[in-house]
Amino acid sequence: MSLIPVKHSEILPEAYLVTRWRQFCTGDKSAFAEITELNYASLYHYGTRFTADRDLIKDCLQDLFLAIWEKRESLSDVAAIRPYLFQSLRNNLVRRNRRQSVFSEISGNEPFDDISPESDWIINETDQLTSSRLRQAIDSLPKRQKEALYLKYYENLSYDEIAVVMGLQRQAVANYLQYGIQKLREQWHHAAVFLTFLSSFFCF
Amino acid sequence: MNNYKDFEVKDWLEDLKFRRWVYQGESDLFFKNIIENNPHQIPVMDQAREILLSMRGELDILTETEVGARVSEIMESLPGADLPHFQWWKGNWLRIAAMLILALGIGFGLYKKRGAFEDIRFSLAEKVKPRKVKHMRITNQTDGIQLVNLPDGSSVVLKPNARITYPDRFENNKREVTMAGEAFFEVVKNPSRPFFVYAGSMVTKVKGTSFSIRANEGDDEVKLVVKSGIVEVSAIETKDIQTGREPKKLLLKRNEQVTFNQKNKSMTARILSKPVLLDLPVEKQDFEFKRTPLSDVFILLEQTYGVVIRFDINAISNCTLTAKLGDEPVAEKMDMICSVVNAKYVLRDGAITVISQGCD
Repeated sequence: MSLIPVKHSEILPEAYLVTRWRQFCTGDKSAFAEITELNYASLYHYGTRFTADRDLIKDCLQDLFLAIWEKRESLSDVAAIRPYLFQSLRNNLVRRNRRQSVFSEISGNEPFDDISPESDWIINETDQLTSSRLRQAIDSLPKRQKEALYLKYYENLSYDEIAVVMGLQRQAVANYLQYGIQKLREQWHHAAVFLTFLSSFFCF
Repeated sequence: MNNYKDFEVKDWLEDLKFRRWVYQGESDLFFKNIIENNPHQIPVMDQAREILLSMRGELDILTETEVGARVSEIMESLPGADLPHFQWWKGNWLRIAAMLILALGIGFGLYKKRGAFEDIRFSLAEKVKPRKVKHMRITNQTDGIQLVNLPDGSSVVLKPNARITYPDRFENNKREVTMAGEAFFEVVKNPSRPFFVYAGSMVTKVKGTSFSIRANEGDDEVKLVVKSGIVEVSAIETKDIQTGREPKKLLLKRNEQVTFNQKNKSMTARILSKPVLLDLPVEKQDFEFKRTPLSDVFILLEQTYGVVIRFDINAISNCTLTAKLGDEPVAEKMDMICSVVNAKYVLRDGAITVISQGCD
């Protein structure tokens, strides 16, 4: 019996992914295809946090994967694979935006925070959030805090990995996360009235 | 370790297993169990859940097919085939192209006869669908039990001579396997992708449970016993051709057994005191541990599932486990154990290797 590949990258043991990465670095196309397939969906989702332009995200992802194929030989010392991919996508999106921003007059000062003027870190109305106060709370957080929270809790990246992706010091990441969590929890206490209503969710 | 009852919101937020439950719906039984035993945790877990959902924000996911198409696109735009490696994406497209040409030829032929054109379009749509599914067929040729890990993470324990056939990847909306002989299933919970087991002329539909089946070839009867969750059984035909009625379905709960008669398709249910059909250790095991040395836990898992677990006995000599593992598949059990004792594991060639830094 041999190892059966599982769909979610998180279920696959790290050692297996590292092996496939090494194979990819030596030019193994099937390893490259698997790495692309395993990471595509979560990178795409991360992209949607920055811009509502789905085609732009897909273009960036295509560029990203073609670029890493081109320079595969120099990537064998990349230790943390997912953070590397997240960071690359982020940079791609930012670079594209700089080009576009010539026309849309976005200030170049904090480009990460304003890649798309109409929707970044979108929290949709249709999302199943029962507490509107909580939604307001997350909306009121600075974008970088939201991003750090997303990478930590949704993508399970470590402080160091988030620091790499966002180009920050580790301490800055720790501060963002601590402050973000604190704000969200404070907001909850205001929304405590909803609690009895919400708890019915679990009683089935 | 597992002091869930004293967890605060921030503890839940930091708990990887909890996050996977909120985001991916994994280990549902496990958390329902916690809620049942610790009702005071409901508001706390609720708060943590809401916070996690707000962090994720709007869900905008691609389907597997869409991801597959994007990956093919990327693979096709790679500069020339400079390295002769196994190229699954090419073979597939070639096959589709060949089929298209063939179909076009047939289509052109039929076009002259007009009438038949409508019908052929239907069958064409089915054939052109990209199919790179490979079917795995595993027969337990050993004298002992054998563990099979399915592509969705579900576990199957095969008794000697039992056989299972499954695709190397399941479809988007359902998971289907065929089996014969005697086997015990632990199915990963996923309500949007029901799990079907075809055994003889009986079909079993579950969403995430554990159960045993005895379907020996040549026997008139197929038997099934439920260890946890709910199971739906029926005859394989979708509709009674003469009466147009849907086939009879039977819902079974824990400790219930159904005997399915293959000849007249009748079903008889009865309640057992214990969910034991095949006399397998896994049927009787409740996986409850109280400060159990980790090496004992691994040895128990080895015996229960017939899997080899390699570990450094010295490295884990201080590790103990306090947990109720329930009916998750082996991979989920290992995830859980490893998250508690801060270890990692690799599953390869049917053996599990555990790497641990040790416990304080």
